[in-house]
Amino acid sequence: MRPLEFLRLSWRSIRGHTLRSTLTTLGIVIGIAAVIAFVTLGASLQAGIIGDISPDDQRNLYGWAADEGIEGGPLAGAQPVFSETDLETVSDLEGVEAAYGYASIQTQAVSDGDEQVAQGDGLIAAGASYIREGDLREGRQFEDGEREAVINPAMAAQFEENVSVGDDLELTFLGGQTATVTVVGITDTSEGLSPFEGFEAAPRVYVPTDPYYGEAAGGVGGGGEDDGEGVRFVAIVVEAASMDAAAIDRARTAATDYLESPESDAGERLGEDQVVTLQTSTELLQQLEDILDLLQNFIVGIAAISLLVGSIGIANIMLVSVTERTREIGIMKAVGAQNRDVLGLFLTEAVVLGVVGAVIGTGLGLAAGYLGAWYIDLPPVYPLEYVALAIAVGVLVGVLSGLYPAWRAARTDPIDALRYE
Amino acid sequence: MTSSGERAVSLRDVRKTYRVGEPVHALDGVSLEIPRGSYTAIVGPSGSGKSTLMHLVGCLDTPTEGEISVGGREVTALSERERTSLRGSEVGFVFQTFNLMPRLSALENVALPQLFQGVSTAERLERARTLLEEVGLGDRTDHLPNELSGGQRQRVAVARALVNDPALVLADEPTGNLDTETGERILALFDDLHAAGNTVVMVTHEPHVAARAERTVHLLDGRIERIEPAGEGRE
Repeated sequence: MRPLEFLRLSWRSIRGHTLRSTLTTLGIVIGIAAVIAFVTLGASLQAGIIGDISPDDQRNLYGWAADEGIEGGPLAGAQPVFSETDLETVSDLEGVEAAYGYASIQTQAVSDGDEQVAQGDGLIAAGASYIREGDLREGRQFEDGEREAVINPAMAAQFEENVSVGDDLELTFLGGQTATVTVVGITDTSEGLSPFEGFEAAPRVYVPTDPYYGEAAGGVGGGGEDDGEGVRFVAIVVEAASMDAAAIDRARTAATDYLESPESDAGERLGEDQVVTLQTSTELLQQLEDILDLLQNFIVGIAAISLLVGSIGIANIMLVSVTERTREIGIMKAVGAQNRDVLGLFLTEAVVLGVVGAVIGTGLGLAAGYLGAWYIDLPPVYPLEYVALAIAVGVLVGVLSGLYPAWRAARTDPIDALRYE
Repeated sequence: MTSSGERAVSLRDVRKTYRVGEPVHALDGVSLEIPRGSYTAIVGPSGSGKSTLMHLVGCLDTPTEGEISVGGREVTALSERERTSLRGSEVGFVFQTFNLMPRLSALENVALPQLFQGVSTAERLERARTLLEEVGLGDRTDHLPNELSGGQRQRVAVARALVNDPALVLADEPTGNLDTETGERILALFDDLHAAGNTVVMVTHEPHVAARAERTVHLLDGRIERIEPAGEGRE
């Protein structure tokens, strides 16, 4: 018998019970849609984040001090230990290009002349080389010790008249102190520039740690503290001489050795079990990806259960169908249908149910993943290999769930079947 | 035709025993020759072995003992698959309850048996259309069975029985579900089939139906009680 005829006859049977067939495939639809949606979202997320790491960033080591073995992302359990002196010393170490502190300073508002917008975070204090030439759309980097700032497009767009290079902004810190900065540059993206910031788009102002961090840290808890011996940083950035692995390791070893030794201010302050961690963006993202993978496995697990339930649903409905159509099976056998014809017919029907479920589920999943990616502003990536996999799973589910009912149908005795009412 | 013999069906000392606790001899030594082109009625009370005989002649079942050949081929020697294949090509069934596929149109129902013979779709539908025209349903080809009257359904079933050009048409109470007038027309159709050279075997319990056949085989308790030629009423 011809496969196309099998398909036609199966489709006729499925269409004969539209509601029943729809409900049966729902389990498969949900399972496949969940996997595809999540995989699309995950792939988009990874592409979005990894796409953000510029080659320049790859030689940066992001560091903080925390209890050994602590779980979590960047800055988890970080302590304010790094002093200005430490950073200066690290800068001069062999293999280190530059080292500077990083702090997120809490603010109340940012004003452009009379216009004031509430702004809780987004003020970032760092060293001059934190903002790289390639990140600037216009203007230049701020200089250490100057009252200058670089803003991102999202911040510029917050004000009615777009802020441009040369304008003055007034910052109101959490403690109520104010400071005036001159905008000297605007970045080309509103997304974060390092793993410390996170990679989502948000309005941000970048200023030099000197003088702003000292001013803000005076009792405002801007992420570090001033204990009278000068400010201490929670987070630091160490730039290696180049982005190759050996250079990065050299810089990392040199900086870590020094910062953990009693010679440094940081080393003095470190508790017994505390260590200094220095990682590149890629290494930090690896952790994020691990979490993402874990979540993905979890969703896939749930989807697998849904697929299992869906398969049982198909198997169940196929058994009902075989019983209902006992007489039809008898007729087909009487007019010359072989066992394998009957087997093929019912198997095709189960596979069609599985594949239809998989196709609908894939469509829904891609749509949901696309919407999700669009909502959190990521470039949508379609994991095409998963689409192929989903269809294959649909076929597999159909075959597995249809095998026993189809075998039962094929074994039906035509004499009994023709007598069946 | 695959056969070269003169007999459409031949049974030699056929026994069929069902074991449901006590062995039941549904057929107990039946020998019968059904020549090509003949019209045979098989009659008998319930439990006489009519159905069993029909299943055996229709290659749906195999005898416990004895030999059956259909269309010149020995049924007992065949595997299940070969028997199915023989049934498909050499036997055309017409049932009391029509037994059409409910979701297939009249045309598709008639074309169905050839699907299992591997005939191409275009060819099958063409043949089915011709047969439906022959049974007077040329204008009902696209109707589903539930859109047809009982008489029309039985005509579809007759067309389906003929589609593979079988060695015999096996009818089981073909008028049992029809009113007298419609039943008469169906019987007239069988007369036509016979006149056209087809071999017809009809199982019935109605004497007036059996009377249209060339001869009547009376079954009783699994044995042939007597065989009488048509129109004579007694041997």
